[in-house]
Amino acid sequence: MNSKMTELPVEIVMVEDDEGHARLIEKNIRRAGVNNAIRPFTNGTDAVNFLFGIDGSGTTNKGKPLLILLDLNLPDMTGIDILKRVKTNDNLKRVPVVILTTTDDAVEIQRCYDLGCNVYITKPVNYENFAHAIRQLGLFFSVIQVPAAE
Amino acid sequence: MSDAPRSSFPFQPILLGIGFLLLIAISVATTWLVNQSADDAAAVAHTLRVQDKLSNLLLDVRRAESGQRGYLLTNDQQYLEDYREVVPTFDGQIGELRTLTQDNPSRTFAFDEAAALIKTKISEMDRTIDINSSGDRQEALKLVLGGLGRDTMNRLRELVERLIADEGRLLDIRGERSRSNNFLLLMMALLGSAVVVLIGAASVFLVQRNYKRAEIARQTVEATNANLEQIVAYRTADLTEANEEIQRFAYIVSHDLRSPLVNIMGFTGELEALRQDIFEQVSKLQADLKGLNAQMEPGTAENVDRLGHDFDEAIRFIKTSIANMDRLINAVLKLSREGRRQFNPETIDMNGLLDTVTQTVAHRATEAGATITIDTLPPVESDRLALQQVFANLVDNALKYSRNDEPNRIAIIGQTHAGKAIYDVTDTGRGIDPHDHQRVFELFRRSGTQDKPGEGIGLAHVRALVRRLGGTLSLQSELGKGSTFTVTLPRRWTVEKRSAA
Repeated sequence: MNSKMTELPVEIVMVEDDEGHARLIEKNIRRAGVNNAIRPFTNGTDAVNFLFGIDGSGTTNKGKPLLILLDLNLPDMTGIDILKRVKTNDNLKRVPVVILTTTDDAVEIQRCYDLGCNVYITKPVNYENFAHAIRQLGLFFSVIQVPAAE
Repeated sequence: MSDAPRSSFPFQPILLGIGFLLLIAISVATTWLVNQSADDAAAVAHTLRVQDKLSNLLLDVRRAESGQRGYLLTNDQQYLEDYREVVPTFDGQIGELRTLTQDNPSRTFAFDEAAALIKTKISEMDRTIDINSSGDRQEALKLVLGGLGRDTMNRLRELVERLIADEGRLLDIRGERSRSNNFLLLMMALLGSAVVVLIGAASVFLVQRNYKRAEIARQTVEATNANLEQIVAYRTADLTEANEEIQRFAYIVSHDLRSPLVNIMGFTGELEALRQDIFEQVSKLQADLKGLNAQMEPGTAENVDRLGHDFDEAIRFIKTSIANMDRLINAVLKLSREGRRQFNPETIDMNGLLDTVTQTVAHRATEAGATITIDTLPPVESDRLALQQVFANLVDNALKYSRNDEPNRIAIIGQTHAGKAIYDVTDTGRGIDPHDHQRVFELFRRSGTQDKPGEGIGLAHVRALVRRLGGTLSLQSELGKGSTFTVTLPRRWTVEKRSAA
């Protein structure tokens, strides 16, 4: 997965508090043949610091193609807060955000799309389905175009 | 309540009793006095009649005398007609007077005297008439002038006047007595009325006092009720909150348990993949060793097989347990989700609803040789989806737990009673042991031979739903005979009812 605009490889920012899940996601994405760098964060604060920088402007990631894989249930904040900040930030608003979470509440799903999330996936509780879904996601990652952050 | 003994003293009945006694006394006295008064009136009438008779008697004697005088004066026989008419009545008149006054012995002598005087008078008059008739007019007049007739007449007049005056005195005495009686009667009536009015006033006072007390008591009760209502409202709010907390708890727990489970499943899968890789490596190494003709320790191959077998067994147990746990967590999640769902009350044609429910199991019923009959069911205002789940579960259970030796007859009947709609789902299936009548409603608990698939959440789910709909679910069952599940629902369910329930 590359960016046509920069020809730089897309970096996947994975915000997932459960390290096991993170590892399983990574393994299954790799199995789909995606070799992009994955930058894992296990809490919201670290992820926010990376995405928006110390000054919170997001200029540090200017020109970098990113894709965010976001869990909603984080220990220190809800993923919705991160989604809202990304989608209202001038530098990061075009960064694709994939919500990958256990919640399948209809209201929650609507809210995320309203806030500008690009894909919403419910983690299947059954492992086979989970692995399958992640592999599909990996295949999806291998074909999508990602713009660079401005 | 310090005045309780005072208020318990029966003032009012006693007052009423006194009032009644007085009224009775007044009535008796009045009746007596009225009787007395009637007697007096009769006595007065009697006196007047005696006086009248006496006057008449005197008048008739005078009539006889004037007839005699007229005859003597004119020698006209016509004058004797009055005389002859009147004279024979004297005995009768005296007799009448005697009877009228027989209660007064002094009168007897007076009438004896009167009778004698009248007799003398008559004989004097008869003689003059006789003498005159014989033609000796002078002799007859001489007899009249002799004065015997006049004297007799005067004495009779005096006697009669005395008697009339006497009777008049009696009348005065009786009149006096009658007046005093009447006065007494009036006084009695006035006094009685006054007492009755007094008692009435006392009663009104007592009733008012009692009313005031009752009013105070009523206000106290009202205040207590209001207080109770408030307490109930608080408790209801507490319960609702506790219930919501349990729902949230169940949701969060089941939700959060899924995350580690995904890991356990995921890494079990990874382990399986690893086993595949490792054993492939081992086989390859074994083949390589064989190719090198190297000597393997005896039993190594068997050992490797056994290890693989043990590994597979461990993985299998883990996977089965995970599947079970996944099932349970999903069940809890489903229940908690149902508990959070908003109910939308609508009028439901229960026959239509049960037709839909039974249609989905019609094929299974035919295969099992079971029959399902649906009575005419009363409609109910409730949540359609919830009731669908309730009856789908009950019908499914009825069908599922049939007896092998007998075709199952499932009947659904309904009735209404006191604002409730009551539905019975009856089967002739295997029934439930009395020990398990409560247990079957508990989550993950089942009863009887475990030969049918199931998670033990159906009835728990049904009961939770029925309770949320403000109803009750009860069971009657005999082992080996069949079961009846009774769903009792309020005929109209509203959102307010739920918070009140």
